[in-house]
Amino acid sequence: MKLNKKPYLKVLCGILILAACYMIGFYYIAKYLGPKEVESGEGTKHYVAIITKSTTSDFWKTVFAGANAASTEYNLTVTFDGPDNEEDYETQNRMIKEAVANGAEVIIFSAVDYNANADAINQAAKRGVKIVIIDSAVNSDQISSSISTDNYEAGKMAGDAVIACEDEVLNVGIVNFDKNSANGQQREEGFIERVSTDSRINIVETINVISTIEDSMEGTKELLRNHPEINVIATFNEWTSLGVGYAIEELGLAERTTVVAFDSNVVSVGMLETGEVDALIVQNPYAMGYLGVEAAYNLIFNLAINETEVDTSTTLVTRENMFDDECQKVLFPFN
Amino acid sequence: MKATKINEKISLSSLLTGTVIAIVLTVLVFVLLFFIKLYEDSMELNSITSSEQAVVQVMNTLENYTNDMAEIMKMISDNIGQERDGRDNFFRNFMNIRSDVVSLTVYNNDGQLLNCWSDGLELKEEPRQNLSYSEIKNDKELNISKPHVESLFTESYPWVVTISQRMKDSGGENIQVFMDIRFSNIANYVDDVGIGQHGYCFILDTDGNIIYHPQQQLIYSRLKEEKTEELKALEDGAYIRSNVIYTIYTLENCDWRVVGVSYVDEMITDKVKNMIRVCAILLFLVLITALSTGLLFSRFFSTPANRLAKAMGDFEKEAENFRFAQVKGTSEIISLSKSFGHMVLRIQRLMEKVREEEISLRKTELKALQAQINPHFLYNTLDSITWMCEEERTEEAIEMVNALARLFRISISKGNELIPLEKELQHAQSYLKIQNFRYKNQFIYSFDVDEACLNYLCNKITLQPIIENAIYHGLNGMVDTGKIDISIHQADEDIFLTVKDNGVGMTAEQCIEILHKESGDRTGIGIKNVNDRIKIYFGAKYGLSITSELDVGTCVEIRIPKIREDDNEIK
Repeated sequence: MKLNKKPYLKVLCGILILAACYMIGFYYIAKYLGPKEVESGEGTKHYVAIITKSTTSDFWKTVFAGANAASTEYNLTVTFDGPDNEEDYETQNRMIKEAVANGAEVIIFSAVDYNANADAINQAAKRGVKIVIIDSAVNSDQISSSISTDNYEAGKMAGDAVIACEDEVLNVGIVNFDKNSANGQQREEGFIERVSTDSRINIVETINVISTIEDSMEGTKELLRNHPEINVIATFNEWTSLGVGYAIEELGLAERTTVVAFDSNVVSVGMLETGEVDALIVQNPYAMGYLGVEAAYNLIFNLAINETEVDTSTTLVTRENMFDDECQKVLFPFN
Repeated sequence: MKATKINEKISLSSLLTGTVIAIVLTVLVFVLLFFIKLYEDSMELNSITSSEQAVVQVMNTLENYTNDMAEIMKMISDNIGQERDGRDNFFRNFMNIRSDVVSLTVYNNDGQLLNCWSDGLELKEEPRQNLSYSEIKNDKELNISKPHVESLFTESYPWVVTISQRMKDSGGENIQVFMDIRFSNIANYVDDVGIGQHGYCFILDTDGNIIYHPQQQLIYSRLKEEKTEELKALEDGAYIRSNVIYTIYTLENCDWRVVGVSYVDEMITDKVKNMIRVCAILLFLVLITALSTGLLFSRFFSTPANRLAKAMGDFEKEAENFRFAQVKGTSEIISLSKSFGHMVLRIQRLMEKVREEEISLRKTELKALQAQINPHFLYNTLDSITWMCEEERTEEAIEMVNALARLFRISISKGNELIPLEKELQHAQSYLKIQNFRYKNQFIYSFDVDEACLNYLCNKITLQPIIENAIYHGLNGMVDTGKIDISIHQADEDIFLTVKDNGVGMTAEQCIEILHKESGDRTGIGIKNVNDRIKIYFGAKYGLSITSELDVGTCVEIRIPKIREDDNEIK
């Protein structure tokens, strides 16, 4: 019999190891069955920076409202920044750098200038920051996700509104904003493509104004003075829409002129009601903000993103349908 | 075939370990499933209860709110009959105080706007559409519209619901009163209601329109949907629709319904995961316990048992030189081991005994054979034959030679120890014939044989040494004629051979001595040899017994069992 000389030592060792295993096991059982420790606090939140063309228009306020709703739902810290005027790409580039320096994991960006913002975005992407584009594109291949109106289609929709006019001759003036802004150009292209299918339509002139009410108002007045035959004006963002509307109001041309404008706020809706503006192409800024932050969340946590390019809806609102149930929801923000 | 082979090779300890693990696994899985089911059920019940509680709370608050609205309408009804100035004053103050009331409009029966009060808003000159007004069809106290945008004022488009009632003015005319309210108050309240981690409440009217939803803008932006069509059709109560619990209650004083939405899986999944983890740990613990038990078991039982089995195998292969060492282990093993040890000793002793007997048998047989080739006897006999031939007693000489030949043939008997009694009898006759010639008829002899006994077997050279003894020691030198009587008869299972002489006889001491002492006489093999051989072959109860009386004679009785040729093998 080759029983060990110290069999009890071995058995003791075995029992000790077994006891250790049991203790570890019971520790984890207690941990799993015990009350759950909730981890929270500002320190652990992920940071997402939203940098837009502007912060003052109703359009952007609604974007921020949507982004806020999503940030609450996904427990993210979100900041909103944008230059004072919609041509200031330099300030935007500086904001991108600041956001990177502040540790933003995702930048949700709407470019003032398709080309001039590209470098700053590429730099940020190089530092590991994910880029989500909303509303207006930038010339970069570092974009993880893009959420915006299909600007080309929106332009076509504006064209449809013009074609719907019953006048025999349609002399069209276009009041667009900064030529370097991608979305404005796409809308214009879509618009021109659509209206060129109708022989009644004659595009008289396209002007590019600074994206403010004053500048577009002055521009519109000048355009109308130079070309009194113009009876249709198309314009492609919130500020220029208001400028055109005020110009028409001032010149008293509401009856004679068909205005197809973009985006909604209380003033432009009032103009739609009173006749200065005849059709509004209304985007879905709330969805842009919300989906932008949702995409940021998915990027931070490496979740699958269904589509890298998301089209948010656009709606054509005219005086006739503006108080329909669906149009009410689109036109008027709830809060 | 293969399976059974494998089964045979499974050791007891691994069988034990496997069985324990299998049992524990089965039990654990069943317990787990059972508890998960139980847990899910109770969690579902819990969720439903908490959801119901939340919904009932919201409902109470909403009822208070709508009661409040009814009160306000009553107040309006009381004051609308006042004269113009007092009335305007009252309503202006009222609009100031109630910030959630956007406007109060009064229409006549034809729907013509009579009066409008608001909190500093500018009425449009010609509203494109009046969303607040729709003709009141009934006399209910409180009609509540679905949410819409206030469309009467310039540059202000808040979302409101309209509460309307028919009243009578100061002149007793029927009028319709519409109050547009923003529900910021209830909105704040409903926003804060949470059910579980992600659950919430919203308000639906009986037509399925969403009155208020914490994520109203998400719904308006078409980012979120509620199954209003499905919910509309449901009665009050709690419903589970694929992981979502809907709790629906309808307010008593208006057609609003409160819907609570909560999620089952978020509450349950975590717990179930933990349960599975716990079970995995338990399983692991059981596994190592079973393994160590198996180890212990194998150390104290299986291994000793295997050693014992090996020892038995070894013993089977080589029994003689086997040395057994006790195996240590459990008490069962020890007692087995002890018993085996005893058995080994016992068997070895028996084997030793058998071997010794074998050896002595060979020796005695050899002696018996040697005695037959006793040269004295041979040349004395040959001498007698020669002498007979010289005297030309040819007949006698032939008879002598025949007897001698028969004597040797039977003595050798192809080496068999047992021969038929008949042969043994012939042997004895041949021997007596020869001796009778040699001793010139100094004695006479007779046979008394039971013929039935002749086919049984007996040891060869059984009678001859006794006869020889009787002639040499009993009859030799007697004056009277000697007489030898040989008889064979049976009794029960035995056969008795008796040799009786009327010689000098012996004392009782001599009788005993003759059975136990090797014969010193070189001429014959001893009586002892015969006795020994019979006892070795047939057992202690067989053998010789001698009775003798001095000067009268000796009687030797040989007892052997009845054994036939065919059952010779048995012995």
